[in-house]
Amino acid sequence: MPGMDNGLNAGDPTVVAAFRAALLHQGLIIAAIFAVLSIAWVAVRRPAAAPVRAAVPEPAGRQVLRIGFGLLWLLDGLLQAQPRMAAGLPSQVIEPTASSSPPWVQHLVNWAGTSWSYHPIQAGAATVWIQAGIGLWLLASWRGPASRLAGLVSAGWGLVVWVFGESFGGIFAPGLTWLFGAPGAALAYCAAGLLIALPERPWRTPRLGRAVLAGFGVFLAGMAVLQAWPGRGFWQGGRDGTLAGMVQTMAGTPQPRFISGLVSLFGSFTDQHGFAVNLVAVIALAVTGVAFVSGRRQVVRPALAGFAVLCLADWVLVEDMGIFGGLGTDPNSMIPMVLLAAGGYLALTRVPAAAPATTETAESAAETAEATPETISARPGPGWRDRLRPTAVRESVATASLGTMLSVGAVAVIALGAAPMAAAQASPVASTILAQAIDGDTAPMNSPAPDFTLTDQHGSQVALSSLRGKVVLLTFLDPVCVTDCPLIAAEFRVAAQLLGGNARRVELVAVDVNPLYNELVYTQAFDRQEGLDTVPDWRYLTGSPATLRQVYRAYGIVSETAPGGAMLAHNDIAFAIDQSGHLREELNFDPGPGTTATKSSFAAELADAATKLLRAS
Amino acid sequence: MTAAPGARRAAAALALAILAAGCASTSSRTQAASSPATPFSLATAVTGPGATWASVPMGATSGANQFWQLFLLPAGSSRWSLQTPPDIATNGALLLAGQPGQGVIVGERPSLSLTFSAITTTRDGGRTWATLPPAAGLSDVPDALAAAPDGRLLALGGNQQVTTTGPAGNWATLTTGRALAATPAARNCGLTGLTAAAYTPAGSPLLAGACSRPGVTGIFASAGGTWQLAGPALPASLAGQQIRVLRLSRAGGQDVALLQAGTGTAASLLAAWTSDGGQHWQLSAPLGLDGTNPVSVSFGAGGAAAVVLGGNRGETLAGPGVSWHALPPLPAGHAITLAMPAAEITEALAASGTRLTVWRLTSGPAAWVRTQAITVPIQYGSSG
Repeated sequence: MPGMDNGLNAGDPTVVAAFRAALLHQGLIIAAIFAVLSIAWVAVRRPAAAPVRAAVPEPAGRQVLRIGFGLLWLLDGLLQAQPRMAAGLPSQVIEPTASSSPPWVQHLVNWAGTSWSYHPIQAGAATVWIQAGIGLWLLASWRGPASRLAGLVSAGWGLVVWVFGESFGGIFAPGLTWLFGAPGAALAYCAAGLLIALPERPWRTPRLGRAVLAGFGVFLAGMAVLQAWPGRGFWQGGRDGTLAGMVQTMAGTPQPRFISGLVSLFGSFTDQHGFAVNLVAVIALAVTGVAFVSGRRQVVRPALAGFAVLCLADWVLVEDMGIFGGLGTDPNSMIPMVLLAAGGYLALTRVPAAAPATTETAESAAETAEATPETISARPGPGWRDRLRPTAVRESVATASLGTMLSVGAVAVIALGAAPMAAAQASPVASTILAQAIDGDTAPMNSPAPDFTLTDQHGSQVALSSLRGKVVLLTFLDPVCVTDCPLIAAEFRVAAQLLGGNARRVELVAVDVNPLYNELVYTQAFDRQEGLDTVPDWRYLTGSPATLRQVYRAYGIVSETAPGGAMLAHNDIAFAIDQSGHLREELNFDPGPGTTATKSSFAAELADAATKLLRAS
Repeated sequence: MTAAPGARRAAAALALAILAAGCASTSSRTQAASSPATPFSLATAVTGPGATWASVPMGATSGANQFWQLFLLPAGSSRWSLQTPPDIATNGALLLAGQPGQGVIVGERPSLSLTFSAITTTRDGGRTWATLPPAAGLSDVPDALAAAPDGRLLALGGNQQVTTTGPAGNWATLTTGRALAATPAARNCGLTGLTAAAYTPAGSPLLAGACSRPGVTGIFASAGGTWQLAGPALPASLAGQQIRVLRLSRAGGQDVALLQAGTGTAASLLAAWTSDGGQHWQLSAPLGLDGTNPVSVSFGAGGAAAVVLGGNRGETLAGPGVSWHALPPLPAGHAITLAMPAAEITEALAASGTRLTVWRLTSGPAAWVRTQAITVPIQYGSSG
């Protein structure tokens, strides 16, 4: 998929170091925020006159979902902090999941992958903090509007992950099967988030539990039918069988030996007994689905137990626990599925009885206000301006619980993670970290640029010294090069666009590095090929072989014939020359993989170099 | 009897699930298998008065690590030498247009990020090379580049645009596949696409293609500014077959065309020669292909042709009025290119990776004898 992969090694040390530094930096800010919140809370806190007891306990089903998915988000945040995640997520997670989806899905996902590839550090760090923040918020905020908002945020972010990270859970790809995580773990996060975001009233009747289980049951029955559908290869054993093939593929991913052994063992078993394994899966899913739909406690209970065992087995034997195969971003779908089912079951069976509160603080009164909405309508609260007055804030902090303060901190964590990413996304240019990862830092110089006189693509003689007064970005290009030179040319073209109004103060100059192909018709053909014939300050200079070789020597350029049909060997390099004709910077300019992201990154590096010299003048 | 609410719900759910699963399931129908024809290779050898040049794919079998190599066999010599044009990546293939003496003009087909075709030439057997104005990307056919006796060039582009160089050496459009197809001559044949370009010995351009109308050979000559059908009339036995011109090339004082009539098991191959720009043709007997496909074709002196067929088969044709001659099973190799450097001499250039092995067909009991091996220093990874 074009643009999706930035082409860098996932473990690229430059990116890894920058990712760690960003996490550390943001982590310190977060620690400071929590410290300030703690101090403020301890300083102004007013202990409750009497032990606080809520009017009614949090519904058990909601509690399971809130705590369970809170912990999952925290784990996911930690997994996102893996060193290889910043550079590797698009190529190792997003792209493989999208590869078998239809073109429109790939197009959509490619947009997100490209955005990540352009700013891997900001995107990687943002994901860590957003997921950790949501997890913390869910855990800390157990009642009231804030808790419901946490559920909504969880559902929203889950949707983002489901669409862009999981390519809609692969539901539009062939080979869809529940056993391998369909319809996507993040969809379960969405469902749980929406349930948490519900007002408490629905939780106080068994109807919600029945509805959740019925929906879940229909879904499982559908998955059973899909699993049993003829012609999809799931009944077939052997290497050609869909299920056996998928398990064997899973076994082949890098993972700890004990997991790999288990998955391989199950793969071999499926290889030989593909029909039987599928039969068990189909029956288990169908029976569980029907049992859930029935909504009868005595039927649902054993079905839930069996379902949990099935999920656990699938999680270990098929999904390799989600986090061990390759670059794991979450524990996959089985744990969220069990949590959802358990939440539904508890909502059906453990409906909390309403009880009056004996003593309430202002906070708990607000939190339980949903149970008695008429109270709110009868007594309108203060406006938002009043709430922001120092005295009101102080009062709020003084009466806030630990959970409230942690929730405020969690929101700060999310904002801190999202803000740099949002700012980065506002720029259409890729981060220069990609160019630095490929070619290292630029080398400062300060020496007069050797002068030369060559012929530009229009046939005019051009002396380098005649360009004084302008910043010159100089490189060496082979007009019949098939790989690097067209990429470098494209980077120069984009740099001209990035320079905007400053472009007229910058000359983009290339010298023909192939003395055999030194006629103007070749430099002109190259310009047309790369769309440089319309760039105003672009000059592609050439000359006689002898003159060109003098220029190569003066700038330390290698230009060597390579045998066997290989293109001419030359070094990829660029120089930044200031307005007084001094070489000020040498940029290694091997364009690397030539992805959309790296091209943009190199262009940004060029534009930065020119802008720096313009500012210095 | 009233069904329990749970049972009703279960039945409804099952129906919903079946419906949903049906919508999401993929079709199990398999598409009708179509066996792809072996692609016609750009590998070829051309023999002129002073030398034979051969263009051979080496390195990987495809992709950025396949590097085409140019080999030279001077007239009277038995030793081939590597003469690949320098300073340009040859991943896209080398197309040849013969020149007098030990000269040749080479068109580099586009590859990777290079979209136009560089043109280089040597007059001294590869010791020195000079460049000619680049052409738009040459088409993926062996005869996409032709040279007139006076040095003008004719190029068939990948976009079916035909260009020619003028006296100043600049390229100008002669016609396009679409424009030609709209002419009465091309409508008579139902031209589906151009496959070759050549000059007559007098320096007039000839274009060739594939016709949808059975029994018509799509060779066109320009006369008085209009294009006329100039292909040979075929025997009645081929009247019902569609004709595709696989090759059209000038060989000495004549043009030689290699035609494929029909497809599949009924397909046959025949050669045609003309020395007057298509007014008169001599035809070979048809060669039944027996279900195989022609893989590559080379031309020798005097209009001789050598064809590599699928299934390790090879056939030669010494010239007009001579029968096809079946070769012994061809030597092993990833790519075999036949060459006919002189009368009654047939050589097979077998390329595998970096190694080119030259085999010569012995007279008497026909057998391939290894005469030379050349290792080419291929720079794997240099174009990737």
